[in-house]
Amino acid sequence: MYVAVRGGEDAIQHAEQFYHAMAGKLTPQNIQLIQEQLPYLLDKVMGEGSLYAPELAALALAQTGGDLYEAVLLLRAYRSTQPRIAYAAPATADKVLTVRRISAAFKDIPGGQVLGPTLDYSHRLLRLDILDGLAEDNEATAPQAELPAPSTYPAVADWQRSQGLLPPIEANQIDPVMIPDVTTDAVLFPAPRAHRLQALARADTGGVLALGYASMRGYGLIHPTVNELRLGYAEVELKHPVTGEAFSAGRVRVSQAEVISSGGDSGKAGYQLGFAATLGWNEVKLIAASTLDMEMNNREPHPAHTEEFVMYHTEPVESSGFCIHFKLPHYVTFASSMDSVRKVISTFYSGDQPPQQELETIRQVQP
Amino acid sequence: MTLQDLAQPRQDYSYAFMDAYAKRELRRRMLKAIAIPGYQVPYASRELPIARGWGTGGLQVTLSLVGPESVVKVIDQGADDSVNAANLRRFITRMSGSQTTTDTLKATLLQSRHRIPEEIMQEGQALVLQVPDPEPLRGVTSDISKAHQLHADSDYGQMWLLLYEQLVRYRQYIQGASYPSLVNGRYIISPSPIPRWDTPKLHQSAHLTLLSAGREKRLYAVPPYTDVYPLEFSDVPFQVENQRGWVCKTTGVQNKFMNELPQEDGTSQYELSDSGYAEKLMNTGETSSPYYDDQGNFYHAGYLKPPVLPTL
Repeated sequence: MYVAVRGGEDAIQHAEQFYHAMAGKLTPQNIQLIQEQLPYLLDKVMGEGSLYAPELAALALAQTGGDLYEAVLLLRAYRSTQPRIAYAAPATADKVLTVRRISAAFKDIPGGQVLGPTLDYSHRLLRLDILDGLAEDNEATAPQAELPAPSTYPAVADWQRSQGLLPPIEANQIDPVMIPDVTTDAVLFPAPRAHRLQALARADTGGVLALGYASMRGYGLIHPTVNELRLGYAEVELKHPVTGEAFSAGRVRVSQAEVISSGGDSGKAGYQLGFAATLGWNEVKLIAASTLDMEMNNREPHPAHTEEFVMYHTEPVESSGFCIHFKLPHYVTFASSMDSVRKVISTFYSGDQPPQQELETIRQVQP
Repeated sequence: MTLQDLAQPRQDYSYAFMDAYAKRELRRRMLKAIAIPGYQVPYASRELPIARGWGTGGLQVTLSLVGPESVVKVIDQGADDSVNAANLRRFITRMSGSQTTTDTLKATLLQSRHRIPEEIMQEGQALVLQVPDPEPLRGVTSDISKAHQLHADSDYGQMWLLLYEQLVRYRQYIQGASYPSLVNGRYIISPSPIPRWDTPKLHQSAHLTLLSAGREKRLYAVPPYTDVYPLEFSDVPFQVENQRGWVCKTTGVQNKFMNELPQEDGTSQYELSDSGYAEKLMNTGETSSPYYDDQGNFYHAGYLKPPVLPTL
């Protein structure tokens, strides 16, 4: 076997070694520490990587020195080769083991508001005393309740449906193999709802936030009210391949958000819902994503809130990859464009005479 | 005999990385693309262990075609030793065990970013072009669904208008690379961003060209011996880059696509963009026929015409 030129190959290998030399050491202990200490970071990476594997997410973070987009790409590239061996039963809100569930639409809701674990009402003060070794992280843990809280709660939207405020759900039985899958189907628009929700579940938190925030700030048609926000654990319920018995293969952290708004431009009376869910707990992404879901349902959303726009531009692997590809040499295309610019200049200005007036900027359509 | 003796050796990844289902999908899409020259076929596009936008579209095509007996050449901007080309080549051979070459004529599979080599490619060879943006209509509509409809209707009026406006403003076409071209008289394609110098090489070529955009999830093809014409008005012909008089500083050749190297004294030097071709010239001086001869004449006589400056 004979091998092509090696100059570039040595360079890229050395560059990678340099990168790793500047990052922390990869040891099983360090990776385990990341997994224990940074659950919300893991959730973000697993959600966007669309692979629920805390150990692998911690490894990906360690391997990339915490570069989130690189970590997500590592998980995605690993995931894309894995066979799909089974389909879990749908996890519905009323069956999710819920630790936090709030509604901004009502003072109280059936089952009650459950604040759960949150930093929402914390004072965002840096614990400099811990940094200086003057104190230990021994803040009192919350006192145990006399009675354990229920593990499941009804969905707020079910109450609204019973009141006729929301249209009933048309639940249709579908073979899970037939559910459109954004990772293995070609994407066309208008996209099947499954594609849209899968894309939002995998979407870049920052990207979804930027577009969702634009809607909330006034570019959208709606004011989202958080109907329900829920964090919990879903059972991964499978059927045993031999006995056919249902069993739980484990639990995954999931979160979901529903925003509600009246009418929109659909012309229908009553309320409409926007929905988003993802692996891991990621509240800010889901409130933005469910707002975008509702925006996309409008007949004429803002151009930045159409399905095509949102789905294309919030894809973390694609958007980050394309952005950093501009680091690659582009001197052939640049030479081609310079040729056109020179021709125009020589057509309008002869010889060495500098242009007497500014030439109208030549706008080229493509790179 | 133990179980371990019977078991297959452990393999962390499938042959050529992608699983069989993904390869099957790609191959089917390629067949469709070849059957409908120039038509953009949507595909699922798997994530690869290479950043998106760095050639993952071309790479998926290459990985679904490559075999241990393949001879692969990878170039970026014409160069075999460019860091990105080196990285892709390293990945393809690592995952497939294929051989590699810098010789255009020896390659069975040639993956390229932004260039078609200078030597005339032959029957049986496949050229895989990495495409950032497959949509030639992007400049007139950024909406993919609308563009799809325009293609379906052969509604290319806005593209002609764009060219006409360029003539009115600048008295010439000012498109740089990726010059929109009509394939088989039916679909307009964006010929990746190859320079205009390379666009005519697609016309009635002996080799197969596959163009694939991983991020945008579209692939299209120019089958062998297919008409490809750049968009041009009959009285204002399309022009390739004017590099007359540019002499390669290492090989002394002219009338091949050159890189311009700015010098400190304000002048420029030039070197061949096609590094495999330069290597041959330096080593043995023997090359096979190039698309453009030493006088700059294109091998399909009459295809390229002298420039016309319209008076408007």
